[in-house]
Amino acid sequence: MRPNPKKLLEWIKPGAPTDEELECMKLLQPGDYEIYTEKLNNFLLESKEVFLKLGVSSMLRSGDLVTGIYAPSGDMVAAWCGTYLHAVVGQLPIKYVAETWIKDPTVGCKDGDIFYCSDPLYGGIHNCDQIVVMPVFNDDELIAWTNAAVHQPETGACEPGGMPLTAKTRHDEGMLLSPIKIGENFRLREDLVEMCVNLMSRAPRMQAIDMRARLSAADRLRTRLVALAQEKGNDFVKGLFRRILIEAEEGTRRRIREWNDGTYRAVCFMDIVGEKHKLVRNYLTLHKKDDRLIWDFTGTSPETDSPQHCMPHALAANVAIHLMSYSFHDLPVSGGIFAPMEWIVPDGCMFNPHYEAAQSNSAPSCHGAMTLGTICMSKLMFDSPQRELVAAATGNTGVGIIVSGENQWGVLIADFLAFGLNTEGHGARSDMDGIDAYGFSHCPTGRAPDVEDIENEFQFFNLVAKLCKDSGGFGKYRGGAGTETIYSVNYVNYALYNSHVKGSKVRNCIGLFGGYPPGTLPGIEVLHTDLWEKLKRGDKDIPTGAVQLISERTIKGDYKISSIFQKTHVMENGDIWVVFSGGGAGYGDVLERAPEMVMDDLRREIISHWTAENVYHVAYDPETLEADVEKTKQLRKKERENRKARAMTWAEFEKEWSQLRPPEDILDYYGSWPDGKKTREIIRL
Amino acid sequence: MSSVRQITEYLNIDLEKELWCCNRCGYELISARENYKKGCLVYIRKDPTTIYNSVLTGPFSFSPDPDWAMLVEFYCPNCGVMIENEMLPPGHPVTHDIELDIDKLKEKYLTAKSDK
Repeated sequence: MRPNPKKLLEWIKPGAPTDEELECMKLLQPGDYEIYTEKLNNFLLESKEVFLKLGVSSMLRSGDLVTGIYAPSGDMVAAWCGTYLHAVVGQLPIKYVAETWIKDPTVGCKDGDIFYCSDPLYGGIHNCDQIVVMPVFNDDELIAWTNAAVHQPETGACEPGGMPLTAKTRHDEGMLLSPIKIGENFRLREDLVEMCVNLMSRAPRMQAIDMRARLSAADRLRTRLVALAQEKGNDFVKGLFRRILIEAEEGTRRRIREWNDGTYRAVCFMDIVGEKHKLVRNYLTLHKKDDRLIWDFTGTSPETDSPQHCMPHALAANVAIHLMSYSFHDLPVSGGIFAPMEWIVPDGCMFNPHYEAAQSNSAPSCHGAMTLGTICMSKLMFDSPQRELVAAATGNTGVGIIVSGENQWGVLIADFLAFGLNTEGHGARSDMDGIDAYGFSHCPTGRAPDVEDIENEFQFFNLVAKLCKDSGGFGKYRGGAGTETIYSVNYVNYALYNSHVKGSKVRNCIGLFGGYPPGTLPGIEVLHTDLWEKLKRGDKDIPTGAVQLISERTIKGDYKISSIFQKTHVMENGDIWVVFSGGGAGYGDVLERAPEMVMDDLRREIISHWTAENVYHVAYDPETLEADVEKTKQLRKKERENRKARAMTWAEFEKEWSQLRPPEDILDYYGSWPDGKKTREIIRL
Repeated sequence: MSSVRQITEYLNIDLEKELWCCNRCGYELISARENYKKGCLVYIRKDPTTIYNSVLTGPFSFSPDPDWAMLVEFYCPNCGVMIENEMLPPGHPVTHDIELDIDKLKEKYLTAKSDK
């Protein structure tokens, strides 16, 4: 029986300690907790390396993955992250197996069993994220579970790449596995592997290899835990696990208690629904009371006939990326962090749709919620000892560029181009700029692949890969720059390409305390080009950036400027397209940015001269890039006076602003204006 | 312990007076029980290209589409510092982003002060 969404959300929290666990905690001697939690972390690091070295698909190779250790109850004890969201939801299929299949005589659970799953309705994120789960037995007692999870970039859906923008229901999304036993005696069952590989006929090699990579990682972790239990005893392991959960919960509560009680709100907007440009709203009201946080997403736009939805547990897991990498980064990566948290996610909103809804774009649908979590938590933490953890939002464009077809080696592929994905700009912080080309919004540690790796694996030539000028949100501290890459189809006659990247109309990444959000991202393609001829001739005017490409147009071809968000379509040999990864948002007033920092941005080509002059209002010598501090003070004083002259009082503003409204045609999926309430039923076939 | 708490980069709360104040110049904006934005000067940046320079023009560029969103900027009426901004669809209500439990704050900081 499928677990209901409320139960899945509740399962994110750890269960209460048992008397036996509390007794076992007494076995830990002084120093044991510190030594053996570090030992667990080393086990995790080793299993991550095994995973990384054995897999083949791009997100796996970039490290956008997780390996985790879970208590027999399924509570998360420790994880290598990687992708924090996978660590959090990893608990749910385990709790389902523990509650359901262990007791079922037709399934059961014994040493050497291997479970496998991918369905969000059973606790996953979306159809692409495949998770292997192994029970850990020592002396015939179940002492733990291990898992290994990573996005599989093909699911046999109605479009290549597993995340079909045209999906209307879950039946368009390909393989969705409820937790099944896929192996016994430490071996995968080849008949079931064949079933999965057969379903992934657009990229069978990737499925076959990555399944084994997941298993190898989870099994390496299992062997280390067995060795630990044999050395220290099962009871010691039980006590250690519970101590970790308690330390995380107590640490979280202690920190929350220090912060100011109150209510914090943020709103942001997403510009895509399915394959259309439409406006939807994400809204968060965060209540902080004593040692509790209550996350209320009331006011978020309703569900639609698109794949841009997620389940409430997936929403919480995405918000956890902020919690685990900022607010509680120094506490154990464990379920204990969630004990003081409540979640309000109204039925029928895009974060809590009907079970038949398509959810293949679940992770990208949560980018707005991730922004809101970062902004509300930063406003909460500013007046606290955690001020140094205050930050504006990371890029949160989710640079999902999916390519497919036959590569130059004659192998079928359907995969992400992981460079843009792992090089979004970081949000500016309360005391410094955001990191340029920081990483993947879901995975702070993700590594962008080298150009050579991309060209070796895929049928593309990588003309440009560099930081994108003016892409980080401006502010006293600048949002980290995103990147721009230019690709061309090489070696083969054609390839398929689609893009899930948001933000051509409005970005869902917002600034903090007067810092500006980053700019939007257009889509650029040049078809039927003379690129190869120019390269053969050794022409010196080959563009080295996207702006140069579109402004100088030295490459002949049909230039197409549209949305960065693109449905699956064919690109022919020599066709060019540009990928932008979004910059992070800015922090603080631009007029407080140190002139020397602006000059440094110019030297590094992170910003344009136009921005230095018109946004930052800095006077400088354009030849030497030396700032004139006194003249800058005067320019900025004048700009502050200009601000006051052009601005209105609140009453005047309200009168003018309340007369405005967006065009009706972009509000089709928004819900009621402006509060985003459900206005119609979605009938799914 | 001071009765003035810095709540954001640009906002203080004077707990004794129960007022939002500018952190940079001390200007008293509005009651701490109100949305501080109501005490600011407000500017609707209807043309985002004044911040986002775009070599492209037309429906898709490096600058947000003003039909979809405009920047609303909140300035201190005295010193002109930008206290906050919001990227909002035209006409969308401004967010009451920070609503502190003032009584709890007073209890936490003023009581602690008087205890000293």
